[in-house]
Amino acid sequence: MRPRRITLLRLAVAVLVGVLASAGVAYAASLGLSSRKLHAWSQTLTKGTCNQTSATADDSYVQQASPNSVAGGTDTTLTVAGTAGSQDYTFIRFDLSACNLPTTAGADSAGLTLTVTAKSNDTISVFPVYSSWSSPTLNWNGLGGLTIGATATTTFVPSSNGTLPVPIPVTADVDAAIKAGTLWGWELRDTSGTATTTFGSSENNAASKRPSMTLSYEK
Amino acid sequence: MKRLSNIFGLVLTAALLSVGVASAASLSLGSGQLAAGGAAVSGCTSSSLTATRNVDNNGNVTQVNVVAVPQACAGETLAVTLENSAHASLVSASTVVGACTGGCTVSVPVFGTVSAANLTAYAISLTE
Repeated sequence: MRPRRITLLRLAVAVLVGVLASAGVAYAASLGLSSRKLHAWSQTLTKGTCNQTSATADDSYVQQASPNSVAGGTDTTLTVAGTAGSQDYTFIRFDLSACNLPTTAGADSAGLTLTVTAKSNDTISVFPVYSSWSSPTLNWNGLGGLTIGATATTTFVPSSNGTLPVPIPVTADVDAAIKAGTLWGWELRDTSGTATTTFGSSENNAASKRPSMTLSYEK
Repeated sequence: MKRLSNIFGLVLTAALLSVGVASAASLSLGSGQLAAGGAAVSGCTSSSLTATRNVDNNGNVTQVNVVAVPQACAGETLAVTLENSAHASLVSASTVVGACTGGCTVSVPVFGTVSAANLTAYAISLTE
């Protein structure tokens, strides 16, 4: 076999091969997706309702003028009084355990319904409660042991007797309570005047006057 | 003989070009890894993570929290799309996973007004 010579044409072909091959590799390296990893998934939510009635409620009121009294736990009405030195605070909560909601669930909407039995034009502020309480033992002197939110969730004016025309919005509190595992409810305080306002309690003879709460959830 | 040599050169050129392009194709498919619908296949986690959301008192979503994100995902971009019942996007948001110890809860602020009642699904991704 005759040895091959390096001709100009052969040299040109070799250079061309090298250049084009390099271009292919460079193109491969330029593809952005080649070096990125993507992990994607979806999560579908289940919607439901778990409305609360007096059957799952606990409520009471505490009296500054009777700091050891637990009578509010069995009264048929709940009192909120604004007079300095003899204020009354009302407490209301619901037991959501029968809803079987995991701590990854949440409230889409929650509204507290109360029936005013003695109206006033004072502003009632609704503060979230974050620690355990029970009506048989709750009194004014025990308030210091409770953890209560510093900021009111909402306010309302109970200016007419009967069921409040619009449920008190408590969605954020119930959502947080579901994630925390337990709903400890709310403290109602008169924050604008000296009137006394009363609401039907869970012991009220008329079921329609007892506190209730609507709850729409996702999980 | 000269013609044969030229033909050989052209064939060699085509062959090497093919190798280059094939390399490009194999890189894009070989190392770009994708999972969907809860079937995780790669990246910093092999699990479908759980998301929750916070709401304000009007029932609007304020942020999404993805829990138990492995610390190996630190530095990756976590993107969340909130979907309605028709799987149409309501809003999307993303954040970079920070460093943490153990499993991280990564919070993604949600801008805009999205009612939690309309939220029926999350589409979530982690990207390097």
